Amino acid sequence: MRIFQSWRFPANWTIFRLDDRLLLILVAIIVGSCSGLASVVLNRSLMLMFDWFHHLRHYWWIFVLPAIGAALSSLFLEKIVKEGAGHGVPEVIYSVSRYGGLLRFRSSFSRLISSALTIGSGGSAGPEAPVVISGAAIGSNIAKYFSLNDRQRVTLVGCGAAGAISSIFNAPIAGMVFAIEVIIGEWKSVNIVPIAIASVAGTEISRILQGNQIPFSHRLFNISHMDILACVGLAVLTAVASILLTRLLRSMDKIAKKLPAPLWIRAAIGGCAVGLIGLFLPEVLGKGYHVVQTTIEGAFSQGLVIVGVATIAKIVATALTLGWGGSGGIFAPCLVIGCLAGLTYHHGLALLWPSVTWVNQGCFALLGMAGLISGMLQAPLTGIFLIVEITGGYEVILPLIIVSAITTSLCHYIEPAAYYMKELVDYGHLLRPGTDARVLSDLNVSELVEKDCIAVTQNMLLRDFINIVKKSHRNYFPVENEETGHFMGIIHLDDIRQYLFNPVMYDTVFLGQIMNTKVEVIDPDDDLADVIRKMDANRLFSMPVVVNNRFIGLISKGHLLDQYRRELMVQTSQSI
Amino acid sequence: MNHQLLHIFRNSSLGRETLLQSIYFSKQTKVSPVIYIPKSNKFLMYFENDVVQIDLDNSYLMFPDTALEHATELLEQAGVEPRFLDPKHYTASTLPDIHTNFDYMSCPRSIVDLSSKIGLGYIGPRVRRIVKSAQFPVLITSPVYKKWESIAVFFGGSVNAFNALKLGFRICRISGMPLDVFTLLENKSQESYEKLIKEENLETEMSHYVNNWHFLKNRTLEENLYDVPHNALVVLGAYGHHLLKDIVFGSKMEKIQSTISNNLLIVGPNYTAAI
Repeated sequence: MRIFQSWRFPANWTIFRLDDRLLLILVAIIVGSCSGLASVVLNRSLMLMFDWFHHLRHYWWIFVLPAIGAALSSLFLEKIVKEGAGHGVPEVIYSVSRYGGLLRFRSSFSRLISSALTIGSGGSAGPEAPVVISGAAIGSNIAKYFSLNDRQRVTLVGCGAAGAISSIFNAPIAGMVFAIEVIIGEWKSVNIVPIAIASVAGTEISRILQGNQIPFSHRLFNISHMDILACVGLAVLTAVASILLTRLLRSMDKIAKKLPAPLWIRAAIGGCAVGLIGLFLPEVLGKGYHVVQTTIEGAFSQGLVIVGVATIAKIVATALTLGWGGSGGIFAPCLVIGCLAGLTYHHGLALLWPSVTWVNQGCFALLGMAGLISGMLQAPLTGIFLIVEITGGYEVILPLIIVSAITTSLCHYIEPAAYYMKELVDYGHLLRPGTDARVLSDLNVSELVEKDCIAVTQNMLLRDFINIVKKSHRNYFPVENEETGHFMGIIHLDDIRQYLFNPVMYDTVFLGQIMNTKVEVIDPDDDLADVIRKMDANRLFSMPVVVNNRFIGLISKGHLLDQYRRELMVQTSQSI
Repeated sequence: MNHQLLHIFRNSSLGRETLLQSIYFSKQTKVSPVIYIPKSNKFLMYFENDVVQIDLDNSYLMFPDTALEHATELLEQAGVEPRFLDPKHYTASTLPDIHTNFDYMSCPRSIVDLSSKIGLGYIGPRVRRIVKSAQFPVLITSPVYKKWESIAVFFGGSVNAFNALKLGFRICRISGMPLDVFTLLENKSQESYEKLIKEENLETEMSHYVNNWHFLKNRTLEENLYDVPHNALVVLGAYGHHLLKDIVFGSKMEKIQSTISNNLLIVGPNYTAAI
């Protein structure tokens, strides 16, 4: 019985109580392993589904398969697990920003199943974002089990995301960088160490179960100065492709929402359209990694026009799959689109300057992949490390940096928020630790209310009021109705200054005559950012908090600053 | 003070009964009811260490055109100023977050499953999760509006039972209604319970607020429950002493909720009561 009770409270185990960092590292190993396992399960499921459906690809009716997959995926998400469509990464970032990384348990498996249905049936999407939300939810729920605090939970959410990405790409550094750069947004050793450990655990699980394989092996590239110079043009092309994909995804989503039909029908329509494209260009179907491998090996033999059309077709197919309600991520489509964009660019260069000896097309394909990832995520480090790791090619690091940096900058200039963050930024939900918005969001009006104010009534004489002022250390005095207790207005010391040196007025002026009745009031449920905006706009130092016509207390900028500093110190400290 | 009760409004005859019950509770305990009229069939509640997704059954979305009007009418008839909750944050476009800084929450026995599952003996899984995670007590209303005119606290000596007792004192103090305490004597003696009260320094409050302390001696709890007034608000802790106390509700709690049709005010493990 005692054993059972101790099992129920793992946070009380002696080993975990030795040191909080040790606890976090040990739990990170568990989280990394579980999320790595989730990635392997999804990967294996997709391979299995590919094998099942591969022999059907030559039938004319096969174009309905992505429609069936997308519809089932949508029905599963909507009716069974009751979650929204999409890949879920914004949900993870939102939860990290606002709720200390709290995620539902169902998210740890829901997207795995839905994306397996969408991608396995031929939908143009990737399995990476679904494993990110699964890994993150695993981390969050394990943190809940161990009764960890918000900061530790957020770190474990990052561990889950890192373990998942590391496992699915066999790329531990990319997983680690992605979790910190995109999910957590905070480079601190307290986060980095557990996330690094989780990345290693996730990668090891993948290597044990699937073997230590580089996803896209390649031969050595001999990169010249001309090639490096040409990277600038490629960066522009990948930036254009990124913007096109981002905007098409959003416009498809808007168009789909206008259709008065259930979600699963919309998803089926999108899937059907993808299936039709796939009849003519099978490269657009599924993850599409075979296209990447063929291109990197230099064996993709199609000409400029076909490759260019395939690039656009893949962009459209991805927008149709994800925008119309299919489930999956944009990592894999980005890699394929980037690869095709790089190949198109290489063919274009060869056509325009046939006398120049350009590096192999595979190199431009790699650079295009990094460009698309960097452009879509606006996370250049993730793009660089991912491509280095999944291709095992360090020699392309210089052009990789150039393409990633330029693409990120261009995309940021045109689309200030990355694809994952757009909605969060629009609604003010992207709250990175230590920023003004985050500090304010972690404070609320109720905890800032100062209640040591002395209320006065409208029928009080100035003389009585002066006696009250003598006892109070505040400058503001709420005026309440004698009978109902309702808030009527406020008196500031400045309001009585003109009467103070004229004792004749002491017994002739009533507070009701001098109180300020046009007062902006605050509700305890108001956002603090809105409260500060009101204070700034009206040049106020304090504002009354009123509920149901009753005065609750005052909010002052001085007290707010004290609390703000305290919260900022908590958020920016290195302790966990 | 601005104490608030969260009520999820259902625009149906059943929802009306529940709202009337919430309004009555609010008036007696001097809290402001805050009404949420759902616009989608699910929402999230983020607690300190848990997030609970509430999947509402379709009856919560019925007749949206008249929902606001009906709720306002009931509140105004009772002389309560209508306050409605408008979610400010959304985890996903159709998934609003409802904040959890309330002092009470009112629930029917099930807010997730079919409305048919509102009878005795069934408390829906989401209501159980809310009770487990919330820092506020949950008012599980009787199926039909029924005024309560006294308070009955079930006290078994657990931590939750002490919280329930303190909550009973508090409601007794605010509402001025008589308070009775019920304790089932199983293997323990009456003196042992009195000793527990002494150890917690609650003797003064017991003598001040409690009308009668009933020590139930019948063999089964069901037999003893006949002594509980039909018009009492029953206050009790959700979990007892047993081994699985943080997984499943206590056995007494289950028996009480499946036997009596009174309004129940359930205290979960995260609630800390102040008198």
